[in-house]
Order: sequence, then structure tokens, then C-alpha cells
Amino acid sequence: MSHDLILFDGVSRFYGEVLGVNKVDLRIPPGITSLVGPNGSGKTTLMNLMAGLIHPGRGSVFVRGISPFAPEKLMRILGYATQYDAAPRGITGFDFVRAGLLLHGFSPAEAARRAEAAIATVALTHAAPRKIAAYSKGMRQRIRLAQAIAHDPAVLVLDEPLNGLDPLVRAETIALFRDYAARGHHVILSSHVLQEVDVFSDQVILIANGRIVAEGAIRSVREEIHEHPSQFLLQCRQPARLAALLFEQADILEARIDPAGSGLRVLTRQRAAFADAIQRIALGGVAIDGVLPMDENVDALYEYLIGGGQ
Amino acid sequence: MNQIWIIARLEIRRAFFSRRALWVYLLALFPAALFLGRGVSVNYDRREYAAKPATPAVILDRLPLGTTEAAALAAAGPPLRDRTWKRGQTTHRSLQYFDGSNRVWLQFENGALKTTRRLPLHSFEQDSRIYAGVFQYFYLRLAVFFGCLGIFINLFRGEMIDKSLHYWFLAPVRREILVLGKYCAGLIAAAAIFGGGALLSFGALLSYQTAADVEAYLRTDALAHGFWYVLAAVFGCAGYGSVFLAAGLVLRNPIIPAIVMLLWESINGFLPELLQKLSVLHYLQSLCPVPAPLDPSAPPLARMILSPAAPSSVWAALLGLVALTALVLWAATRTARRLEINYGAE
Repeated sequence: MSHDLILFDGVSRFYGEVLGVNKVDLRIPPGITSLVGPNGSGKTTLMNLMAGLIHPGRGSVFVRGISPFAPEKLMRILGYATQYDAAPRGITGFDFVRAGLLLHGFSPAEAARRAEAAIATVALTHAAPRKIAAYSKGMRQRIRLAQAIAHDPAVLVLDEPLNGLDPLVRAETIALFRDYAARGHHVILSSHVLQEVDVFSDQVILIANGRIVAEGAIRSVREEIHEHPSQFLLQCRQPARLAALLFEQADILEARIDPAGSGLRVLTRQRAAFADAIQRIALGGVAIDGVLPMDENVDALYEYLIGGGQ
Repeated sequence: MNQIWIIARLEIRRAFFSRRALWVYLLALFPAALFLGRGVSVNYDRREYAAKPATPAVILDRLPLGTTEAAALAAAGPPLRDRTWKRGQTTHRSLQYFDGSNRVWLQFENGALKTTRRLPLHSFEQDSRIYAGVFQYFYLRLAVFFGCLGIFINLFRGEMIDKSLHYWFLAPVRREILVLGKYCAGLIAAAAIFGGGALLSFGALLSYQTAADVEAYLRTDALAHGFWYVLAAVFGCAGYGSVFLAAGLVLRNPIIPAIVMLLWESINGFLPELLQKLSVLHYLQSLCPVPAPLDPSAPPLARMILSPAAPSSVWAALLGLVALTALVLWAATRTARRLEINYGAE
């Protein structure tokens, strides 16, 4: 049993007949790991399984050697900022964080000190005496983050932690994640936007329909992304002729006449060879009004990967 | 133990002052209000009759059955109230007197004294029996029962509805400890509310008794009776609380466990002896110091529901109730270990 990994071994979880996650095997090393997938893909299920809020129907989960069935041990090393927006009724931000620390066994004075420090870290000191019910969505997000980090856990699990944060706090929060990871801790966070996390994640796990589509260091996932076919819209008045020429001169996978009548949609893996072919065809006298890349943004590439996993 | 106490401290304010707590307080205070009202009525009667002329009891007692109306009026003097009515061929007349402590009715039929009915202006023994009836038939069976339903079932289910239960599950606390901590919070609140309610109502019962009655009662049974009434209420909270806390872990609709439990408790007197021991009320009735009166002319269904199970000794009742509570709590902790956060299903 590895004591510095988070392990999922053949984990499946269904909600009645609805799939949560299916046959998940993961070995997550310390560092910043992002779970990325569309809404309903199984990210929160994986996180809830890690924290023991739900239990696997099949398989097992261990977090740094501890089973989620032992919350008295697991929660000493794990902090989880869930996406559930509710807070206990009528409680102030300060009391909310302090109550969690009291349950960790800290003395009232130490709990108060740590609560103040955690709240300061998320820049909410001014709002600490106010009731959480009066907080904005971003503030509630931050107070949950404060509670998750207050006991300085070795594993920080954060469900969509950047949602609703303003740019300044967002940058500070990302710096906090980096600091945690640099200390050999796990930071597991979820997002449905790949660009949001690929700049600071050490690992990415792409998930769709309850299955792991891709996982690994962010660099290798990026390479995988770069290898996927690119789609272009060639604006022209003779799409059929252009398609015939492209099939002769370039390694293209697919060419379809644009249903909107704008020209020709082309799918290719050889972007450089495709560019050369376009140049030759244009110089040969076929009018091409424009070449528009259709999937340059990361989301489109991500959708490609998710599609491949289906 | 430390964690149980921390959880109980964090929970207790919610248990005392939850949104739905007002009716719990009303239930707990109803008997006290009832007996305070009775006190006001008794004191009013005392003042009213103190101003009225009293007819010595010896004169009224000397009137034999068959005495004529005229002879009775001549002996006892003018009555406080005089009422005449006819039913069939019979003429009825009722003359009411006051002998200084009792109201006395001389009932005549066709001019001859038929019965003499005597009711004390106020009787401590009678009030004590009424209190026992209110305590067992209303307080234990309904007030404590539904109060505990309101307090305990929300310890887990209420947090499921508020979507805040996961905060407890994310604390480094064994689920068994969490169950016991929440149970302690509910028990402290329920015991304070209903134990306090029992004490207040008992105080209200004594508040309007004559000084002589109170003094005599204090010299004999008052402290013991007060103690057992409060203890029965507290143990009622412990027993019902464990059942409703467990129900809140597995059921979403509180009406279902309430109806099932109420039916079970109601028919308990007719169940085999072994099954009777699985009833909270069975033990509570054995703790009550004064048997509750049961009118033999009450309808059969009411008699079936109200008749008590075979009583246990006080120690057997205490041990039985503790054992039953421990059994239910053990089952609740087992359930809590597998409990998952699934707000979507709420």
C-alpha cells in the first residue's frame, strides 16, 4: 500500500441505474491534479469517493494508505471544499471554520488562531464575523476553501474551486495550490474548463461519462491533443473541385461541403503538409477566399478527446 | 468522549432553537398552562363561595331520603341555586348548597329527596389523579412523543434537507461518535424542555392547593412524585429520541415513523409480553408514581389505546429502557457507517 498516492482500484459507482463512474483505476501522485470533464461526467463522484461521502459499489479507494471508511483518520489529512453551496444555518464565517477545527481536537484558542489564519489566506477577514447566509457566491466558495485548508491537510480536494472568484483572488488561490503542491501535498481539483487548469496542473485526468478518457502529466496530454486531427473551413466557390485537389495533394482524413454553403470543411492530421497543399492549389488558380481553423481552442480539442472516449 | 461533547455543544443550539422548535415548546408547556388555568378557576371559585352563606354540613347530612322539598328548605334555608325541570311525568328539582368546603346538591323527584350529591369545592386527591392522567395520556404519549419526533428526526434528516450534513462527515470523527454526539445534543435539549415542562406542570398543580394540602404532600410523597414525573419525561426523551434519530437516518418522511411508532405504542398493552418490552411507553408507565385513571365507561377503542401494559418494577423499567435505547442507538450507528451524502435524492 503506497502512502503517498491516491489509489482507485477498479472503482465503480452507480446511483441506482445511473452511472456515476465505471471501472476507474487511478494512481495519483502528489502535486496538482485536475479532474476535467463536462458536467455530469463523474468528477464530483470521484471526489466524493475519495472523501468517503459516498462509497464504491465495486473496487476500493485509498488516500495515502487510508480507507475512506475510516473518516477519523482520513479527515486529519484531507480537506475537501465541496460544491454544495449550503452552510450550517445561522453560522458566521469565523464560527464555521473554527467549528471544523474544534472537531479536529484543537484547543479553542488554537482553533481560533488557525481559523483567523485560514480566513486571512482566502482574503475574507473583513467578512469573518458576518453570517455566511449573507455572503456572495464567491465568498461562500472562499470560506469553504478556508475550512478545507485550516488544518493544513496533506490532501486538498476542491470541487470547481475557481468558480465565482474574481481575477485577483483567483490568482492568489492558484498560488496557494502551487504552494501546497510544492510542499509534497496532493491538490485535487475539478473543472469543466481545460484552459482554466492546464496552466498550473501537474497532472490532468480527463473524464467523460464516468470513464477516464486520458490521464497523465499535462505535457503528454497536450501532445496527445496536438496529434488529433485539425479541422479547417476553406471559404471557396468551387468546393467539389477543391476537395478533389486536396485528396490528390494532401493527407486529409475527411472533406465535406459546408452545410451553410460557406465552402469546404476539411479534417487533417498533417497541418504543415496541408498548408503547403493549399498554397499550391491557390497558386494553381483555384480561388480560396479564406482558411479558417475550426478547432484551435482547447475546449474543442478536449471535446475531441472526450468524443474518443465515448 | 471529548469529541461527543464537542459535537453536542456545536449541535445543541440548533436543537433548542431550530426553526421548527416553537410547537415543541408549546407541547411541553401545555400541561403547565392547563394546571395554571385550573388554579385560576379554583381560586375564583374559592373567592366566590367564600362570599356565599354556608349551610352547616350537619344539617344537610341529617336530611333523609324521601324528605319533602318544603321540609328540606325549612331545615337548610334558601339554596344558592334552585333549578326545576320536567322529564316525562317526573318533575325534577335541584337545590344547591355550600357547606363551607363542599358543594352539595339535593336532588328531588316529584317533591321527594332522591339523592344527595357532594363535590368538594376543590380536592387535591382528585387533581392529583387528573394530573396523572394528563401526564400519561397527553404528556408522555403525545407531547414527549411528537416533541422528540421534531427534535431528533431533524438531527440528520434536517441537515440532509439543509444540505449541510457533509460538513459533519468531513470532520475527523467516527460516524458512531457523530451519532452519539448528535443524540446527546438532542437529549439535552429534549430533557431540558420536557423535564422542565414536567416540573413546571407539577409546580402548577401545587400552586393552587391549600397550604395544609401542600404541607402534608411535601411531608410525604411530593418530592418523590415530582422526581419520578421528571425522570419519566427525561427517559421518554431518551427512548423516543433514539428511535426518531435512527428513523431520521433511514427515512425521508417523518410521518411514516411517527404513525408506525404511535400505532405500536397504542396497541402495546395487547401484545405478548415479549413484544411489550419493545415499547418505550411500557417502561415509562412503570415509572409514573400515580396510576392514571381510566374511566370504565369510556368507548372500547379508547380503553384499548389507553390501557397500560403490565407494569414492570421501577428498576426493571429503567434498565429495560436503557437497554432498548442502547439497542436502537447501536443500530443507528451501524446505519450511519454506511450513510452517504446524496442530497439529490432529497
